[in-house]
Order: sequence, then structure tokens, then C-alpha cells
Amino acid sequence: MKTSGKELADKVKGVGESRIFDIRSTELPTWCPGCGYFGIHQGLNKCINELGLQPHEVVTVSGIGCAGRYPFFTSTYGFHSTHGRAVPTATGVKIANPNLTVYVVGGDGDGLAIGGGHLPHVARRNVDVNYLMFDNSIYGLTKGQPSPSSQLGMKSKASPYGTQDAPLNATLLALSYGASFVARLFAGQPNEIAKALQEGTKHKGFAFFHIYTTCVTFDKSFKTWDNLKKWCHPVPDDHDPSDLRKAMDLVMEDNFSMGVIYRRD
Amino acid sequence: MPKVDVTIEICGMAGDGTIAAGGLLNQAMSDSGLSVIGFDSYPAEIRGFGRCIARSRIGDEEILALEDRIDVLISLDDTQSISRTPLLTEHSSVFFDSNPPVHIEEEHSLAAQVEPGTMLYGMPFADLASEASGSPRGRNLTALGGFAAVFGVSPEPFHRVITAKFQSKGEKVVDANIKSFVAGFEYAQEHFSDRIQQVFTDANGMEGPERIMLSGNLAIGQGALDAGLKLYFGYPITPATPIMEYLAKKLPETGGRVVQMEDEIASIAAVIGASYAGSRSMTATSGPGFALMTELITHGVMTETPAVILNAQRGGPSTGLPTKTEQSDLHAAVFGGPGDSFRIVIAPTTVSECYTYVVKSFQLAEKYQTPVIVLTDFFLDNRVENILPLKATEEETACANVFPDESVMGNYRRYQVTESGISPRSVPGMEGFVFSATGLEHVEKGTPNYSPEIHMEMSGKRFRKIRGALKEMPPPEEFSDGGSLDVGLISWGSTFGSVLEAVNMCRHDGLKVGALKITSLFPYHDEIIRAFMARCQHILIPELNYQGQLADLIGCLYSKDVIRLNLATGTPMPPSVIEKKIREILS
Amino acid sequence: MAEQHYVIIGNGPAANEAAGALREKVPESRVSIISKEHVGYYQPHLLPDFIAGKVSLEEICVRPPAFYKEHGIKLRLGQEVVEVNFSKKELLLSHNEVIHFDGLIIATGGKPRIPEPLQVFEDLLMKLKTVADAKAWQDKLAEVDSVLVIGGDLTSLSFTKALLGLDKEISFIVDEDCFWPLRFTRERCDKVMERLTDKGVKVIECRKIKSLVRITDDLVEVETDTGRLAVGAVGGFFGLIPDVRFLARSGLHIERGILVDECLRTQFDGVYAAGDCAQVYHPELRDYWVSIGYRNARNLGRIAGLNLAGNRIQADMAAESIFQVEDIKVNTSWWTEF
Repeated sequence: MKTSGKELADKVKGVGESRIFDIRSTELPTWCPGCGYFGIHQGLNKCINELGLQPHEVVTVSGIGCAGRYPFFTSTYGFHSTHGRAVPTATGVKIANPNLTVYVVGGDGDGLAIGGGHLPHVARRNVDVNYLMFDNSIYGLTKGQPSPSSQLGMKSKASPYGTQDAPLNATLLALSYGASFVARLFAGQPNEIAKALQEGTKHKGFAFFHIYTTCVTFDKSFKTWDNLKKWCHPVPDDHDPSDLRKAMDLVMEDNFSMGVIYRRD
Repeated sequence: MPKVDVTIEICGMAGDGTIAAGGLLNQAMSDSGLSVIGFDSYPAEIRGFGRCIARSRIGDEEILALEDRIDVLISLDDTQSISRTPLLTEHSSVFFDSNPPVHIEEEHSLAAQVEPGTMLYGMPFADLASEASGSPRGRNLTALGGFAAVFGVSPEPFHRVITAKFQSKGEKVVDANIKSFVAGFEYAQEHFSDRIQQVFTDANGMEGPERIMLSGNLAIGQGALDAGLKLYFGYPITPATPIMEYLAKKLPETGGRVVQMEDEIASIAAVIGASYAGSRSMTATSGPGFALMTELITHGVMTETPAVILNAQRGGPSTGLPTKTEQSDLHAAVFGGPGDSFRIVIAPTTVSECYTYVVKSFQLAEKYQTPVIVLTDFFLDNRVENILPLKATEEETACANVFPDESVMGNYRRYQVTESGISPRSVPGMEGFVFSATGLEHVEKGTPNYSPEIHMEMSGKRFRKIRGALKEMPPPEEFSDGGSLDVGLISWGSTFGSVLEAVNMCRHDGLKVGALKITSLFPYHDEIIRAFMARCQHILIPELNYQGQLADLIGCLYSKDVIRLNLATGTPMPPSVIEKKIREILS
Repeated sequence: MAEQHYVIIGNGPAANEAAGALREKVPESRVSIISKEHVGYYQPHLLPDFIAGKVSLEEICVRPPAFYKEHGIKLRLGQEVVEVNFSKKELLLSHNEVIHFDGLIIATGGKPRIPEPLQVFEDLLMKLKTVADAKAWQDKLAEVDSVLVIGGDLTSLSFTKALLGLDKEISFIVDEDCFWPLRFTRERCDKVMERLTDKGVKVIECRKIKSLVRITDDLVEVETDTGRLAVGAVGGFFGLIPDVRFLARSGLHIERGILVDECLRTQFDGVYAAGDCAQVYHPELRDYWVSIGYRNARNLGRIAGLNLAGNRIQADMAAESIFQVEDIKVNTSWWTEF
């Protein structure tokens, strides 16, 4: 679908009015063209903007991976930690100054592999931080190795005969760890992301956002834009996010229902 | 030289009240005006298994170290105590239970193992305690009563400390324990009248204000509290756990909090996160945990974030000897982790220094925007000393962070290259000074950059900054008669007390020997150390590690090879071993 | 075969000689000396000099503790044997320790005797047999100026001599029953009294001590059939009796002392007795004799040790030796009558 010149001009004008560039920094993201992270970036910026948060009252904490550099692409305070350690770092930040709004951004490798031991504890501690897990099921920065959420049998240079390890389901893990707010989102829907992020940011306690995204450079078969657009759909209208058992049932039956899965106030 | 200098060991099985008795003994002797160092050792296993030893050295002059000898052995379990008999001095005294419930074979009998010079004081501990209080549980106190009677210690301080210890459990418990003590005291007075030693009867003790009994760990905890600690993140590990437990109780009283994290990596990550957000925070760990922390410590170096990390060293490598003392993490503390990661490392040598150095570490960390590693060891953490009360001044605890001023608002360069290397540091929440910290090499604004010039410049800035901290760090202290020395000893950490005692003995005999205490280990005062070394015929560095880590670190400052005295026994360095080595060098 | 364990109860001259002999003859064995006293082997006849401050404890000690270590003898001081089970060959110590022995020599020596009429006052009668007794005297003499000596055995005479050197006011009562086990002739007894009077000792003639009453810690009132006096302390010196009470129920044959044959064997295999605690059969006298004196004890101890090591040596009485106080000489070699 082609966009006309006028439509484009309107869009740009809208963007300008939304003050979204106040949240964006002047650094150019290092992500590949077409990367799903741009959508998440847009969604988070929109959320911060719409909540009226001042950039100096927000801290964005990242680990290592393609999402690691994220703090440089926002105008909030940022902390680019080591591999896997964004979550405990953010815990320290939030406990030290509860007036700050804290976002953790990181990939599935950072959060499910090397940092996988921290997710249960930030959840059970119910620290009021917002954790955005960018799940593209691949190690992008190191050029395409399988991650803990890769499909069984995935072939790569590091797994030429196919992986033998079953994938983890981050949403289900967060639910079972006792996270008090769990949403599943799709990078292709920045407005949905912004909406859910706003709800989660306002939520007092740990909020987990499992965001399906794509690696356009190293994943040509699984979580591609086409597949994700085809598979992802909103949670059923009658889904009751206050019921943990139903939330878990939903996640186990359907890996692609998107929206707020669970919340407990 | 002191007139009174007695080493007492109470030895029993876990559950015998050994450590409790040691605590009461130390406090009572301290209250009697004597100088006390106490050091307990207990098994790594849970209650009910293994040997517990409460060791105390008590004297009328300041006690600097523990010696590997026992003048008085109070046995609450003969099987456990037998292994201690080789350490008994020629004219030692042994208190033991003379009426065990069953007959014991010769090979299991403590009395059968001692040398004839040892004075045996057999007392029916359990029977006396039962008669006095209705339960044999107080037999540890009965034993203390016997000791007090024979060695001429007044029972009053014991009554006071027993009351203080058991007060919270009610009058009945206090009464039962005092009765058990008195039963032992009276039994000994009656039965050992011909063998009363009265060692402490005329001990005048030390002059000056009242002293308090404190362990290294509690001094660390107290120092952190007084320094204005807000957050402690930690993970249980021997021997650092008591610091966390102490703060867990005390920090909430000052509005602070202890968070027990999921591992040591999370602990240091949270400390760095909290410090980045402007809170005084710390963690304490031991070797294995410290190893896990090193990556993030260097992250603190790179992001120039304050952090206080206490490493209570134990025997290593790996899990090593969890309940034994060693000084083998010096290299890990100074060099551990990736890259040129200059950080501050300080090591107290006494319980008092544990307090003052922890207080100091927060200001150093803030002012120089760096992780500060405080190195202690099992012996220093767990030993108790009766010290003069400590209280940090407002000046010593004031915030030392250099904040950016308004002139740079909007154009803030977090990592501005300065002559001192110190760049003004903002914290989240401050408007107009937003920045992102990163473990990647970066330019002044903080954005990642890998160019050769930047890496060279920023490495230089970070190094200058740490080097500049030296002027505020505790300088080496010399203990000698000055002039040229035949042997100069250099020492650090808990070993220093032993070194000083050995050096004092040698100086008393007219030998030209001196000691240099080093507490700043990185950066270190190279000029002072070099000048000291230049005045010495020989340099001897005694350490509790196998390779001689301090010798490796500062040996390059000496024109000849330094002489190493390396002990990896897991036990404190005995002064006599050092003294022997000095005399060997001089002969 | 397992290492043999030879145990000697006692740590006087007999015990030490026995241990030395065993060590010499059976080098691969284990030798233990068990003594209830807390100090090592010393010369008891020098205790009065020790009280007087003329000699130190070190000087009256015969052997330092290191000697035993060097010679592979286990010396266990301050540990008391309370029972012996001869059939199981086991000793029980007061702290409930059981020790197995393959051979045993009992050399516990003697302990102060208190004549029966005076036993009710035992608490008030200070004795002088051990270092502990001597220390008690030292403490007491630091507090009191007058002492009454009752009895009149050899120790009493040397003790009196020590007291004279300390400038104490001394009273002396010679009891009818005193010179046990030695009996002086009346003539010699009179001579002793005369000599004591010359030295400034107040010799009290009486037949009976009626009572001793403690007035204060440092004052005792004494009533005799001839008068009353108040003194700081009272010493009882009535000689020694074999120290064998702990064996009373053991089945061992004991009369006054432990009955042994001329080779010092008791009725149990491998069990010997020597020194002051033994009552030795003499084939020529066809009677038992009890030794006193250092030399007899040493001699008997050595024989017991050698015999336990496999010899069959007969014990004989040692030649007479002389005990001398000033110019009074007393034969101390042996004595057969009870």
C-alpha cells in the first residue's frame, strides 16, 4: 500500500504535535531497517508522552543485545547494564527512588537465558518496574544463534542440525512466577503497545510485557512480519484478566492472543 | 610486656552452649577492665554436628592478635577437646566434666591426653548445673564459674552479663543460669583451694573510658548505619551473613531496607542501580560471591557509579574453606574482572578500623564515583574486641558527590574529561542533567564510542580519578624506632596484629625491626612504601595465602626480592611464627 | 600381640623406680603412672623446708615432666583411681574413665594417720603429707603466729624445726599413741622433749586431748586433761598408714597394707604392690613387714617392676638409715610390728 504525499505530511505533523520527539533522543537507533524494535520504541515513547511523564523522572534500564542500546534512543535517564542484569539493576533504581518511573527493556536472550534467574524474583518481589521483553526468538546482535524461545529444531550456524531444546513461554513463566500484571503484545501494533504500557505503568507493582517482534536480518522463517501479522490476534472479548487460572489456560491454549492477559491489583 | 596474657578456649559440640559461654566470658572480662580478643570457630554444618570453639585472649595490655596456644581449656565435650591438647602450654589448665554419664575409654578421655604439666580441674558440670537449676543445660555456665573461681575473677561481672544476656527470656532463666554459674564457682572454691591460680586477681586492666565488645561484622554493620546507608542488597554467604542479619534488624529503624536478592550478581546489580539513583547502598559477600560480582563491579568502574562492596574473605579457591580465614582475594579485589578497571580497595586491620573504613568507603565511593571494595576476612569479621566506642562525625558521613551546576544545564556532559578525572554526577530525577550510563566505552556525553582516542582518553581519566583518591585514603603507618632497619615487615588485614606483636617482641629484645601497616591496597602509597623499603635490609611480608599476593602487588617497589611468609592454614597467623621467621632472617 | 599396658598407681619413689624398671626391661610396652596428686614426683621429707621457704617446689621435685615424655612413660597427674577390677583387668578413675591394664603395680604409699580418739576433730587437724598440705600450711602460717603440734612422728620434728625458723610460737603435745609406726624408747622420747624445750618449744605434758574447738578461722581452743590453750592452728602428726582404701572392695588381700609375697606379688596374676602401701612377707621372719623410708620404697619399686617384667627377685629389707633432727638420730629402716 502506497502512502500519498498529503497523508504522509499529515502523519508527520501529527507526530510533531504529539511531542513524541521530546521522548526520543537525537541518537539514531542502531537497529536494522525494518526491525520490530522501532514499533516498540514508538509505543513506549507514545506511552510516556501520553502519561505526561517528564523525561528526567523516567529511567530506562537495559541489558545487552539489540535492545541494550535502547536508553540512548530516548531522552530519559538511561542505564545500560551488563548482559542479563537489567532487572536487578532496575530493582535497585526503583527501591532507591520510588518516585522514578522505571522501564526495563531487553530481549529474550537477555531475559530468559543469562538473566532468566531474575524474572521470578522481580515478579514475586512485585517491584514497581515495567519490564518490556522484546521476544524475537533469536540472538540478533551476535548474528543469529538460537535463543531460549526459539522453536525446537531451529537451524542456524550455531545449530546446523537443529536445536534440541524446547522453547520457553515467557508469558506463562511470568504468570506462574506471580507477576501482578502480564500483557502480550505485538511490535507491529505500536498503539496497542502504548495502551497496554500505560495501563501497566499505572499499575502499582511489577508489570511484564511480553512483546513478539521480528528479526528481519536473521530470521527468515519463524517470527517474520508476515507470520506474526497472520498469527497474532486480540484476546477474546470475554477474557477476564483478573482470573489467573483462566489467564494460564488461555496462554497454554493460544500462543498468539494479544492484550492484557492478567492483572491483580 | 603485659603481666597478664591468657588464652582461653571453650570447646564443645554444637549445642553445648560453647559460643554463648565464650561471649559471656569475653564480656565479663572486658567489664573487668581487661583487653579481649575473642574468636569463635564453628563447623560449616548446621546445628548439632561438629566442633565449636570459643577462643579468647585476655590481657592487661592491648591484645593485638591470637596466638596458637591454649593456656586454659574449658571442655564441654572431651571428644572434641582432645584434638586441642597439642596446643596446650606447658603449665596449662584444663576444666572438664568429671562425671560423664557413662564410662569412657582411655583413648576418648581428655584427662588421658594431657601432659603432666597441665593442671586438671575435674568438675561434675552437668550434676552441679542440675542440682542448682534443675537442668543440666547450664553446665557451660558451671564451667565458667569454675574458671572464675580458680583464676581469681570476681563473680559480679559474670552475674551482670548473664542477667543481660538472658533478661529477655525472663527472670526464671536468668536465675537458673546464675545459679549454675554460682554452683561452679563455689564447687571450685571448695575443691580446688590448693590449686587456685588468682591470675586475674591483681590485673589492673586498661585505663580510659568504658569499652564496648564488638565483632568485626557488627562494626561493619554499625559503620554502614552511621554512614547513612539506605539500602543493603545481599545474598547469604559465610562469613558475611551476620552483616546482612544485623542490618535487616537495624536499617528499617532509619527508614532503610535490606533486600535479600536471588544471587550475588543481582545484589551488586541492585547496589549499582540504587547508587546510580542516588541512594547510599552496599553489599557484603565472600570470595565465591565476589567472583560473581566482578563483572558488575567493572561496570560500576565504567559507568563511574559509586558502590560499596565488602568482601569477607574465606579460604579458597572456589567454595574452599567456608569457615576458615584467608587473605587470598587481594588480587581478585584489585584486578578482578575485565579490562583496566581501576577501583579503590581498602582493608581494615582491626575491629575499630572495620567501622571507620566502612564509613570512609561511602564518601570515597561517592566522591570518586567508583566501586570501593572493603576487604576483611573470616578472622576479622568474627573476632570480637573490646574497643573504645565509635561514632562517625557529620563531616565523615556527609554526602561527597560532586553535582553538576546549572551552568551546564541542557548541555550536560556526564563524563566530562577533567584534570582530576572527576566529572560532576547527576542522579535520575534531576531535570536538565539527563544522561545514559553504559558499560560500553563512551564519549563525554555518555554515548558509546570505540575510537582509539576516546578509549585512551577515558581510560586516562578513570585512572587519574582513582589515583587522585590516594590523598584521601589512609596512609601506611610505621611502627619502629626509625632509622635503618634490619628487617622491615609489611602487612595488611587481620594479619597485621600478629605482625605488630612479633615486631614488638623483637624490639623488646633490642632487634632493629619495624612494621609497616598498609590499609590502602589500591591505589597504594607507593612513595611511602618505597621509602620504608629503602631503609630496610630485608623486607618480610607475612600473609595468609599461599602465593604471597601483597608481595606480588608491592614487591616491585623494592630493590631486592622481598621475603614471603605465606601461610595457607585457614587459621590466623600466630605471632610466634612471624617472630621465628624474623630471627631466622637475622641469624 | 597387642602392646602391653603396664599401669602403676602412685607417683612416689616406689612407683617411679617400678616405671623405670619396666621401661628398661620391656621397651615395647606402654607404661602409665597414675597419681591423684597434681604435682610430680617430689621428696616429701623436704616439705617442712618448703614451708619454711628454704626450698622451692622445683627444688623438691625429683624429675621434671619432660623426663617422662623423653622416656616414653605416660604420667597422669591429678587423676584418682577409685576402683580396680582385677578379673577384667580394668581401672576406674574418678572421672569415669576406664583403663585396661596387662600388669599393675600398686605403689600408692601412705597417708596421714589420725588416731581413733582424735578422728572427731579431724577437720581441725592440719596434716603434712603432700605438697597441697604444705601449701595449706604456708597459707595458714601467713595468718597465725602460734601452732600446736600434736603427735610426734618424724615429720613433726622436722616441721617443728621449720616453724622455729619462722619465729612461730610452738606448743607440742606428745601423745601416748604418737610414734606410730615407730616407737621410741621412753628415754629417747624424753631426750626429744628436752631438746625441744631448749629450742623454745612449749612442751605440754598431758594424757588426753579432750576437745578441739574452732573459735574463729584463725583461732582454735584446745582442752587437755591438764589444761587449756588457744592457738592459731593445730597440726596432727601420727605417722602414716597405707593408702589402700580404694581397694577395700576389690577382693585384694589387705591387712594393714596390701599383702604380697617376697616377690611382691599379690594374689592376682600380674598385680604387684610396693613401697609404703605394701605389707611384704619375709620368709626368714616368717612374718610380714612394712617398709618406711625412701630407700626401702625405691628398692621395692624396682623389684616390683623387674618382677612384672618377668624376673623372680626376692625383696629384702634395706640397711638401717638414720633420720636426724639436730642431734637426735632415729633408725628409719624397717619395722615389723603393728
